[in-house]
Amino acid sequence: MRAGKFIQTIFFTEIIKGMALTLRTLFTPPVTRRYPKVKRPVKPGFRGLHALAKNEEGKMKCVGCGLCGAYCPSQCIYIYTSEGEDHKKIVDRYEIEVLRCVYCGFCVEACPFGAITLSEHYEYSDYSREPLYMTKDKLLANWDRYFAGEKGLRYFRDFWRPKAENFSAYEGQAMFDKVKARRKEQK
Amino acid sequence: MITVTINGKEIKLEKAVTVLEAARSAGIKIPTLCWHEQLEKYGGCRLCLVEVEKMPRLQTACTLMVADGMIIRTETDTIAEVRRGVLEFLLINHPLDCPYCDKAGECELQDLVEKYGLTKGRFREQKRKVPEALEDPVLVRNMERCIVCTRCVRMCEGVQGASAISVINRGGHSHIEPFSGGRFDCEYCGNCVSVCPVGAIMSRLHRHSYRPWQLGSETKTVCPYCGVGCTVVVQVRDDIIKRVVPKLGTVVNNGLLCSRGRFGYEFVGNKERLTTPLIRKNGLLEPSTWEEAIRLIASRLSEIKDKHGSNAIAGIASPRCTNEDNYVFQKFMRVAVGTNNIDSTARTGFAGAQGFIENIFGQGATGNIISGLANSDAVFVIGGDPTTINPILGLQIRACSRRGGNILTVGHMKGLRYYTPLELRPSVNTEIALLEGIVSALMKKKGPPGSHPVLEARLKDLNAQEADLPRICGIQGKDFSRFIDTLAEAATPSFVIGKDMIQSKGGSYGLFLVSAINYIVNGRIYLLSERANEQGLLDMGCAPDLFPGYRPITYPEFRKRYENAWKTGLPDKPGLTIFEMMEAAKAGALKCIYVMGENPVFNLPHTKDVEAGLKNLSFLVVQDIFLTETAKMADVVLPALSWAEKDGTFTNMERRIQLVKKAVHREGMEDWKILSEISSNMGVRMNYSDAEEIFGEICRVSPLHRDLNYEEIEKGDAIYPYKGEPLRGSTDEIHIEKSAGREERGKLYLRVERPLFHSGTLSRKAPALVNICPEAVARISPATAAALSLKDGDIVRASSKTGALELPVAVDEAIDDSAVMLSNNFQGKGAFSLMEYEIDPVTKAPCLDSNQIILEKVNR
Ligand code: SF4
Ligand code: SF4
Ligand code: SF4
Ligand code: SF4
Ligand code: SF4
Ligand code: FES
Repeated sequence: MRAGKFIQTIFFTEIIKGMALTLRTLFTPPVTRRYPKVKRPVKPGFRGLHALAKNEEGKMKCVGCGLCGAYCPSQCIYIYTSEGEDHKKIVDRYEIEVLRCVYCGFCVEACPFGAITLSEHYEYSDYSREPLYMTKDKLLANWDRYFAGEKGLRYFRDFWRPKAENFSAYEGQAMFDKVKARRKEQK
Repeated sequence: MITVTINGKEIKLEKAVTVLEAARSAGIKIPTLCWHEQLEKYGGCRLCLVEVEKMPRLQTACTLMVADGMIIRTETDTIAEVRRGVLEFLLINHPLDCPYCDKAGECELQDLVEKYGLTKGRFREQKRKVPEALEDPVLVRNMERCIVCTRCVRMCEGVQGASAISVINRGGHSHIEPFSGGRFDCEYCGNCVSVCPVGAIMSRLHRHSYRPWQLGSETKTVCPYCGVGCTVVVQVRDDIIKRVVPKLGTVVNNGLLCSRGRFGYEFVGNKERLTTPLIRKNGLLEPSTWEEAIRLIASRLSEIKDKHGSNAIAGIASPRCTNEDNYVFQKFMRVAVGTNNIDSTARTGFAGAQGFIENIFGQGATGNIISGLANSDAVFVIGGDPTTINPILGLQIRACSRRGGNILTVGHMKGLRYYTPLELRPSVNTEIALLEGIVSALMKKKGPPGSHPVLEARLKDLNAQEADLPRICGIQGKDFSRFIDTLAEAATPSFVIGKDMIQSKGGSYGLFLVSAINYIVNGRIYLLSERANEQGLLDMGCAPDLFPGYRPITYPEFRKRYENAWKTGLPDKPGLTIFEMMEAAKAGALKCIYVMGENPVFNLPHTKDVEAGLKNLSFLVVQDIFLTETAKMADVVLPALSWAEKDGTFTNMERRIQLVKKAVHREGMEDWKILSEISSNMGVRMNYSDAEEIFGEICRVSPLHRDLNYEEIEKGDAIYPYKGEPLRGSTDEIHIEKSAGREERGKLYLRVERPLFHSGTLSRKAPALVNICPEAVARISPATAAALSLKDGDIVRASSKTGALELPVAVDEAIDDSAVMLSNNFQGKGAFSLMEYEIDPVTKAPCLDSNQIILEKVNR
């Protein structure tokens, strides 16, 4: 052991190994990208900036049931509802403090109507908090911006299936599985 | 001893109970939907099915009584299968509304389906469609969601006793509807809302505005309305009260509330609340800073004190403020100002009556446990309908009747009319003669008990003849003898005394007679109290002749103790009562009145007189949460914090001290804080950091509260005299003032209606209560209506010696032919504005029953 270390120190074997790696890497193609000039393609189901979905008529899908806010582990969704003119429930304020969001996607899973979505947009930064406090209008505008056309449809068809469309719960939804498993354990 | 085995656990039971109760006592949960601990058993939903060995089929745990040796299983696969089936049946007609149903999150059906239910329905047919019933201002029914568990019906009929709703239609179309159709014609207790397991009957006050999990806080506190002192839980989101609910298992109201307690909370967030101090400048009230207002009050008070003496200043305390506020108030008046001129609206009845009865029977005679009423075998009610004045106490009387007790009333009590009362309805102004008759008859029947010689001496020369009663009071002999027989046979009778008795001419004599009846049959007395802290205010010494803890100020040795405690000399002359204050103000002897949380212009009879008195003052300070009629006349108005925004204690009519807790935050100062600031500015330092510290001082100086503290109160049974003996024994002297007999038939007399939905000036700032009962009406009997050719809704001009009002009439069978009932709640339409009074020399309460009134139809 002692002798081995002695030889290593005398003949700089580690340095030689290191140099060999450098030399090899010199001739392989680079793995880094020249971000922001070159962007990594986003996979389906990516969890980026929130958007509030609109239905075919262009109306907000959210009914203000508050389930997203109830599940949100960072408790960063604030919803205020009231009784509208026709006695139906209306959503006055739907706000997300995205700076506190951990992008777990629970809100999307909890929503029975597929009204809250996580877009593929992740490039947002600013000099103050205020622009990153998402209000209902901003979130609805995000939908038009990031989920226009076919993209919005695909989001729900391929990945998130809202429970209101099928109550049998999508087996692949991680959250549901975990809760069920935990319940079983508790029993 | 019965032994049963539930899920392998052996349970020993003293007496036979249902399987469900046995399981609960052992901490085993069985799901239920139609069962509710406050209601009669029903056995309708079949969700509580359990397996019992040797019984061929599953049994409903909520109805099956345990038998020795039963072996029960509550969670097997078969049971789960059956429960799932039951739920699936329920969901056949139940909409999938959870996302916008206000019940979601606290819905029993939702929880059960989550636990047992399938995630997929097999039923493909159309669900029943019923539009939401939105006709009612307060309650909304969504009958698609109703699972016909009939909890609401059983609550309304069997507990509340209003019998306003029922199941209509059959089979899959059954649902709940009020007998009155869309709009409820009921007591609006909202107890049906409490028990509905789903979102089928709900309150509209918070409709669609929050979810249970979004609440920021839940605070257990005491209802701000009446002297029953119900425990309420205030649910708050972002400093807005969203809902007030009762709590099961609380001592006073055990999960029940009345309309005021449940729906009357919106005054707290009312936009009209005062926000800054106002100072009168050039005749107008203008906003100012706290410093300016406090400095001004301190300097003006000192100035008046120097120039005219301390007794030129008087203070009016508040039965709506906490004990702590009232304690500091009287201390401020006695120490900083140096006067005993302290009184409150408790003087309009409660204070004098309590003093009178305690004088006969000893301290605490009027403070009996409310729930005890239900166990009485007879309840004697006089002087006002307890089901509207103190609704939760009224429920106990109804419960008493249901358990087989007898209800005996003098006068007609509308809220007890379905409880087979034995009713004596004396003709106008002859109650005293009737009471004399009752006393004489009872004395003849039962003889004097012999334990209270002073009282008996007073009864000696009383000899009313039964035979005269039909002539004098218009009472039938056989009704009277049934009444007397029932009363004489009662082993545990209770006496419920309302304000009308105290506020009638010869009120003290009437009180004496009721006390005598109570004495002969050995009963308990309940004195109805209209305000949340009427009792506590008196305990705190907000009376012209008493120190905190009911120590009379005229006794030098007592005064010495308070002088030592407060380290100052104290005035030894009893001060002015609230009515004497108004007199003195009018006469110019009084220069300044400091009003805390009270509205004398509206809440004292003879409005014009009160106004004249207050106008004559050189300085009027009003500390309140709204710009009341009195505040509008003030020189300085200070905004206070309301009941929901501060800590403290209330003492209810049972003498139970209960914690009031801060539920919402609001900028401002508590009443006691404002007073201590002013006091410090006047050179008398008061340094309290919080309400608890004040309570500590109260417990040191008041012999009634000795050894109490907030922790002890939290346990719920802090009834004073705490760990002690009653302080004031019975006396050897009873003052009575009889009034000359008077009887004027054929005239109309104005009577104060004490409605269920309102209480003074607070409730009119609560939109829900205003929606239920929006305007003042004069109630008259059908005979009066016929005589004056009036019909429902006609506008009349009601005039008395002191004024006139125009308002609609309502024809009501419950009203006596000699009476016109008008409440004292609505701005500019209060009964007190039409009333003059005389002061009863003994109770110092105003007698209001001789106000004649004339109704004339106004043609528009
Ligand atoms: S993604 Fe997760 S943390 Fe972010 S808002 Fe949704 S639930 Fe909350
Ligand atoms: S009553 Fe319960 S189950 Fe029915 S819609 Fe409302 S929350 Fe859902
Ligand atoms: S509010 Fe009270 S009185 Fe009215 S229907 Fe419901 S339970 Fe009956
Ligand atoms: S309204 Fe509610 S409490 Fe009444 S029967 Fe229907 S579900 Fe039961
Ligand atoms: S009975 Fe009195 S204390 Fe109880 S809820 Fe009604 S008003 Fe409040
Ligand atoms: S709870 Fe037993 S049948 Fe409904």
